[in-house]
Amino acid sequence: MAISVVMPALEIAQETGTLIAWRKKEGEQVAKGETLLEIETDKAVMEIEAPGDGVLVGVKVHEGAVVPVGQTIAWIVAPGEALPAEAVPSSTTTTLSATVPARAAVGVAHTPHQQDASVAKISPKARRLARERGVDISKVRGSGPGGEIVAADVLTDAVQHTSSQRSAEPLTSVGRLMAERTTQSWTTVPHFFLVQEIDASAIVAAREHLAPAIEKTNGVKLNYTDLLIALVARVLAKHLRLNSSWSDGNIRLNPEINIGVAMAVDGGVVAAVIHQADRTKLGEIAVQRRDLTERARAGRLRPSDIAGATFTITNLGMYNVDAFSAIITPPQAAILAVGRIADRVVPVNRQPGIRPMMTLTLSCDHRVTDGATAATFLSDVGEAFGEPEKQLS
Amino acid sequence: MPEAAHRELTFAQAVREALAEEMRRDSRVCIFGEDVAEAGTPFKVLSGLVEEFGTERVVDTPISEAGFTGLAVGAAMTGLRPVVDIMFGDFITLTMDQMANQAAKVHYMSGGKWKVPMVMRTTLGATRRSAAQHSQSLHAWFSHVPGLKVVLPSTPYDAKGLLKTAIRDENPVVFFEDKMMHHKLKGPVPSEEYTIPFGVADVKRAGSDITLVATSSMVQVALGAAALLEAAGISAEVIDPRTTWPLDEASLIESARKTSRVIVMDEGYGRYGVTAEIAAVIAEGAFYDLDAPVKRMGAMHVPIPFSPPLEDATVPTEQSVFEAAQALCGRS
Repeated sequence: MAISVVMPALEIAQETGTLIAWRKKEGEQVAKGETLLEIETDKAVMEIEAPGDGVLVGVKVHEGAVVPVGQTIAWIVAPGEALPAEAVPSSTTTTLSATVPARAAVGVAHTPHQQDASVAKISPKARRLARERGVDISKVRGSGPGGEIVAADVLTDAVQHTSSQRSAEPLTSVGRLMAERTTQSWTTVPHFFLVQEIDASAIVAAREHLAPAIEKTNGVKLNYTDLLIALVARVLAKHLRLNSSWSDGNIRLNPEINIGVAMAVDGGVVAAVIHQADRTKLGEIAVQRRDLTERARAGRLRPSDIAGATFTITNLGMYNVDAFSAIITPPQAAILAVGRIADRVVPVNRQPGIRPMMTLTLSCDHRVTDGATAATFLSDVGEAFGEPEKQLS
Repeated sequence: MPEAAHRELTFAQAVREALAEEMRRDSRVCIFGEDVAEAGTPFKVLSGLVEEFGTERVVDTPISEAGFTGLAVGAAMTGLRPVVDIMFGDFITLTMDQMANQAAKVHYMSGGKWKVPMVMRTTLGATRRSAAQHSQSLHAWFSHVPGLKVVLPSTPYDAKGLLKTAIRDENPVVFFEDKMMHHKLKGPVPSEEYTIPFGVADVKRAGSDITLVATSSMVQVALGAAALLEAAGISAEVIDPRTTWPLDEASLIESARKTSRVIVMDEGYGRYGVTAEIAAVIAEGAFYDLDAPVKRMGAMHVPIPFSPPLEDATVPTEQSVFEAAQALCGRS
């Protein structure tokens, strides 16, 4: 039974995805759960797993193509099984050649008429040089007798590349996305910022108090981010405007509270999501956060890991940052930037005292919310941070 | 610099000098062939040898290539070092059993007890208006057989040095001379003693944009084409393997890796021929340095015509090589 491989929708408003790379070749055997392809959405580059066992055939979409969500881009069939009739273009006569060899030899290409167009002819030397110098041959114009790419074309391209970006580092996919999305947000979303300094004594105490039990029960070390996620989610439940989205001139209230947590990865940042964080126990949040962190570091985040955030928390406390202003991730309404917890001299009972202090900076979309509404939310967050164990009980 | 360093000989004179020197050096060296004595062969390559060495050592034979080649195999096995003269290379066909089944195999099949230190001198090359049975270049036939060494000199200097090495070799060697070169090609040949080892290619002209691998008669064509290419701004390297077996694969691959483009030229037939073998060696050894397919140029796959215009059309020329090289370099 043939299984279609479709361009997945990873987030609510996604209309297209860019196919970055096929990890399996036409005709190659694949197992369910193996990485089949990589796609890029507005948010990140994702690995997509094979939906079933079989042989990959009928690859219709080439690397670099932008594909509407839901469109079939390939099929997985049983060895010997023919491509489904709907997958075979009716105007061609390739039905017979589109059956899969029974032994599913690795690397056997089966759609020559489709591949020819995208595979530029290139000399062995030019191909080697391109690989060595990181030249993208799809962007090189061939000057060979028949338009083939020859070594000189690759070398010219590499020289231009080097001279134009002498001190520049090539962007990773994540890095490029980060550049695009933050520019779009910063230039289109009217940001405003609220800053509040809070006494973190209760948070510090709660962590010390709750950590042993959670480590015992859930096998994970509780950190401040876990506490912040749990507390902010519960406060958001009472401030739905801060959990809504700006959508084409309308404000959409989101039915779930899904907290995105900004995580540093190679070449940029991604926001991994704790879904329904307001209803998730602290220990479970810690487990999810740890798993997401590990997958993010390994570059193995799954589509569901980054989809559907309604509010984002970004914490640079571990980098000894006191306070900072973050850029909103549209269509979310706000993002909370958390600085470090540090001992400060503050008034305690009208006397100078030393307290662990923490600065919260809330960035808001002024189209969705206003200063007073946001201030109420931030004030409630500060209050919740003052009595965390009561909030979480 | 002494006068001798500038001495020039024709190809035929260089061959004759090598034979004379080796016959003086080693009394076992003798010559068998048709019209080799008084006539000095129809190509007049051996003129004067019978006068110096006598009819005992320069032996005119009946017109029976199979017979006197077999005689030479036996003579070599029993102590002489014969040099057989097969006037036209086309008639090596008559000697095939003696060479391929006897000379090439005796040392191996006797467990090393017998050896066959003989040389077969013969000719190749078209454009002499000699028609289909006297114009072929069949050196690939011998190059195909394990146990035979095959030499293709392209200059008087190489001819002398390689022939002396062939005569001193303990194994059967087939030595192909381009019959058009005998009296037309002159070149420097020192009077001092020298030999040239087998299996060492010679760069006849250094270059950087394209390699022209050329054997025997094609070396001069390649050099002419290289001069035309230089005027067109293309630097061509001309490399001559000099022996098709042993073959200096390393030097050919090195040149191909340097220039990234190769034309292999040989006057034999390209189909299953010397050019095919060399092109395959280069493709295997230099694949990731090749910027264009390896091109082969050789005799057209037809019997060589008697009609002069048609005959000339069967062989690569300076102009045709020049054009092919330009195309390969993307300049046509």
